[in-house]
Amino acid sequence: MHKLDPRVKLIMVFLGIVAMVSETPGNIYPFVFYGAVILTLILLSRIPPGFVLKRLFFVSPFIIMAALFYPASLMLAGEYKFVNPQAEAINIGLSIFLKAGMSIILLIWLISTEKFHALLHGLRKLRMPRLIGIISALMYRYVFILADESLKTTRARDSRSPGKLKMNRIKVYSNQMAMIFLRSWERSKTIYDSMLSRGFTGDFKDMKELELKRNDILISVLIVLVFLSIRVFIEPGA
Amino acid sequence: MPEAIQIKNLSFSYTPGKPVLNNLNLEVKPGEKLGLIGPMGTGKSTLLLHLNGILAGSGMVKIGDTLVENRSLADIRRKVGLVFQNPDDQLFSPTVEDDVAFGPLNFGYSREEVAKRVRNALEAMSLTGFEKSVSHHLSMGERKRVALATVIATNPEVIAFDEPFSSLDPSMMAQLLKLINGLQATLVIVSQLFLPLLSCCDRVAILNKGSIMAVGPAKDIIRDDELMRSNGMDLGFYKKACRAFF
Repeated sequence: MHKLDPRVKLIMVFLGIVAMVSETPGNIYPFVFYGAVILTLILLSRIPPGFVLKRLFFVSPFIIMAALFYPASLMLAGEYKFVNPQAEAINIGLSIFLKAGMSIILLIWLISTEKFHALLHGLRKLRMPRLIGIISALMYRYVFILADESLKTTRARDSRSPGKLKMNRIKVYSNQMAMIFLRSWERSKTIYDSMLSRGFTGDFKDMKELELKRNDILISVLIVLVFLSIRVFIEPGA
Repeated sequence: MPEAIQIKNLSFSYTPGKPVLNNLNLEVKPGEKLGLIGPMGTGKSTLLLHLNGILAGSGMVKIGDTLVENRSLADIRRKVGLVFQNPDDQLFSPTVEDDVAFGPLNFGYSREEVAKRVRNALEAMSLTGFEKSVSHHLSMGERKRVALATVIATNPEVIAFDEPFSSLDPSMMAQLLKLINGLQATLVIVSQLFLPLLSCCDRVAILNKGSIMAVGPAKDIIRDDELMRSNGMDLGFYKKACRAFF
């Protein structure tokens, strides 16, 4: 799975997410099958489940919020005719939770089996708008600068504040944050200068050309067909 | 044969009314190794950025017979390589190989040619085997060599170094000096460390208050106590220490 062409993975994940999010609200049954497919992908890729769960944990508050508030908002707005409000609201909330949760697990599978720059290369080959490609690539590079500057300023702070901070914490942290952004901005300017000095004109070029193999096509077609079959043939409430 | 670098009446300021470079004139011959010294904040790094067209002040900067201007930038960046002071500012790709290939790929070389240039540049910097390494896992000396490899891979006519000898231990400095002395390109080296400059530069120029105050043979300039002191570089401490310890 790790060796699949990034373009193929991107298409698989995109179609998988489209199949899942287009399920009728409140329809939970197909997610048993989607879950089985995604679990198979994770196991075949030998990604430790703990690794996936840890990442899912960080985004879970947002998913839970959406799952709780969306049914409540439907009930309050009166746009949706509930026959059995309590059970239907739980079903809709649960289906939102499953749609979002499984889409994110699929994305975690994608980023765990492919390097970010290879995904960007794949996206460029799939004719992603040039500007979005450049912005994504630069953002990815600058995330590390932010992390680096954050580490340096934290060390500087800790070296002069043994134990608990005695000063106004909010003031110290906000000053540190402002400093991190200023320093990152300065450094990103220098990095951009160094890119310009080596002929960068806005296009990231790749050393290796992507090659689509027969196996890539076979595996991706199979997985996409499974996703689409679940979407088409598993009836709501079956 | 034209000068490798020709600068005439170059002025530049980051904020209006505070010129960093002030009517600066300088000429460097092809193949020459020129050291650029001066107190902190006198515009040495700013001058290097003008050689590559990253900054554009008023006046004239010529590399060989090409004028540095907007329409010649592609050509100029092929001709002039910049080695930044902090290698982390120069190494931003996932692997060493990707970083070294960045320049040649942007200059439009074929993939075979890029692979060859990457191989040769890494070999010249004694970095064969580091292709798949992640840059920020390397030591400072290795990162400095990778930064130099990223420039050498584009085979520029002029290489401008910004403080190449800072943060290096003596053996790494000796290694870098050997590499620099083996380069065929015209070199401009900004450094606050005078001893390595003496061992690799033909001439030294003093930059102070945005202008070139003196240019001459490296030893003559650095030995001239009065000239050095009047330009904010008192070497008395170094001389005393050298006499006392060596």
